Amino acid sequence: MSSGGDWRTTPAAALTDGSDFLHLLKENGHSAPSTTSQHAGTIDTPTEGTTILAIRYREGVLVAGDRRATAGNVIVYDRAAKVLSVDDRSVMALSGSPASAYEIARLLEISFQHYRRTQLQELSLDGRLRTLSRLLRDNLPMAMQGIGAVVPIYATYEDGNPREGTEAGGKIFFYDVLGATFESVDFCTTGSGSPIIRGALYYQNRWEQPFVERDEAQALLLVLKMLETAAEFDTATGGFSATAAIYPQVMRVTRDGISDIDDETLAQTYRAANVSG
Amino acid sequence: MLEEPYRWVEAIRNRREYLEDQLAGASPVIACRYADGLLLLTTTPGPRKIFEAYNQIAFAGVGHPADIEKLRKSVIDIAHLEAFNLSARDVSLQRLVNFGVGPLMKAAFDEIFRSPFIARVMVAELDPTQERETFYTVDADGSFTGADSVAVIAGTPEVADAIRAHLSQDTADQPLKQALRSCVSAWGVGRLRGEAAAEELDEPTSAQIAEAITSALESVHLEAAVLDRTLPTKTKFRLLDEPTLAAAADAATDVSGSGS
Repeated sequence: MSSGGDWRTTPAAALTDGSDFLHLLKENGHSAPSTTSQHAGTIDTPTEGTTILAIRYREGVLVAGDRRATAGNVIVYDRAAKVLSVDDRSVMALSGSPASAYEIARLLEISFQHYRRTQLQELSLDGRLRTLSRLLRDNLPMAMQGIGAVVPIYATYEDGNPREGTEAGGKIFFYDVLGATFESVDFCTTGSGSPIIRGALYYQNRWEQPFVERDEAQALLLVLKMLETAAEFDTATGGFSATAAIYPQVMRVTRDGISDIDDETLAQTYRAANVSG
Repeated sequence: MLEEPYRWVEAIRNRREYLEDQLAGASPVIACRYADGLLLLTTTPGPRKIFEAYNQIAFAGVGHPADIEKLRKSVIDIAHLEAFNLSARDVSLQRLVNFGVGPLMKAAFDEIFRSPFIARVMVAELDPTQERETFYTVDADGSFTGADSVAVIAGTPEVADAIRAHLSQDTADQPLKQALRSCVSAWGVGRLRGEAAAEELDEPTSAQIAEAITSALESVHLEAAVLDRTLPTKTKFRLLDEPTLAAAADAATDVSGSGS
């Protein structure tokens, strides 16, 4: 149990005690992903490999990821979920080591819930970004050993605040391994397949039609074409297979919250684009 | 002085009296089932008394606001640790109460040099798995009881009994509006019971109940929340808004209508 109620704790300490789930975990002897101890030996071929991308379209953000998990040149799994819901209005997409990434996504979700319920207010966007940044920072020892690096994309929909001069809309943030936060204006892609499609995304947005002007069907088609392109040139990125019913994972983040785009819609979009799996 | 056993017993007895005295005036929290989930209702002069503890779990308390806060925090901490270490489905009332808040309150009650929790609390779980209890109530001494269809925490046992008797008809199939009205009038029954001396109250008439509610709502306001299984979000907890509560109060004090 938390010692937050102890009369000896200073007000400042009581504040963090009360609201910080990561602190609570440590206090109870469960550690966050942070591993400060030095491990002897390394795993040669950790499970990883991915293409994830997020684009801002008219109604919000589309976040998509392929389904393949690899270890070296071995395909470990072809139905991995890399786009995870964090709360009712934000999602996180993962590239890098799934073991660390799943743990971070899980911690993030529970931290936000815990904060909201104990403090009776939502954690602000800056607060949420900072929490993810801290988790990445805690994960650094693992990343340094080359086995647990995670590079997430965080997408959310923010209601505008006229007083602060912010407008309502989807927002995309990405991180580096050290936990630095960057906001993407139009699109963002990370993972082993991302260099292949980054230029194509730029070209589409700059010279064809800006993503923010596209509706959901157009945005979805673009995202699927990009993933297919990445899969063509990157072995660690999975394609789609109509026969095995393996489709990329795509989630929309809009004013109405977050939701999955179902396989049927994905299959139809592929068919309409004359792509066969 | 406490080395002698009878002194200790005496100290505990004093403590119990002190707690009963402190809690006697508390406005009850009433919880029942309705068609879409669970409903919790109370009145308060200001501080909130009904809270979200986990996705499908609500927490409510009567007593000292600071103690309610401490207990609420403990319940939320345990629930989230449990969810992190195991899974969301493993967060259950039974574990929260039997291993968490029950022993916590008992320990505080037994430590006679420190203040006990001046509070009674309740937890409610929407659609528990494996036929577990829907509600648990925990007394200030840490003793707990499970319940299936109705749960009440109140200032005195008499008030709680009167409310339970009034809500004897199962509300599980009722729509929210109807269940709300039943709860508000049950609250009015509790209010009458609390004001009356032990023996002098017969079955109150609906006019008496309505009057008790109307006069009480001049100084306190209704607070109610539901655990609604039709909500699309992971969290099923929702506080009811002002118009809904006002409508419920009107319905419960409308003696010309069908009444409840």
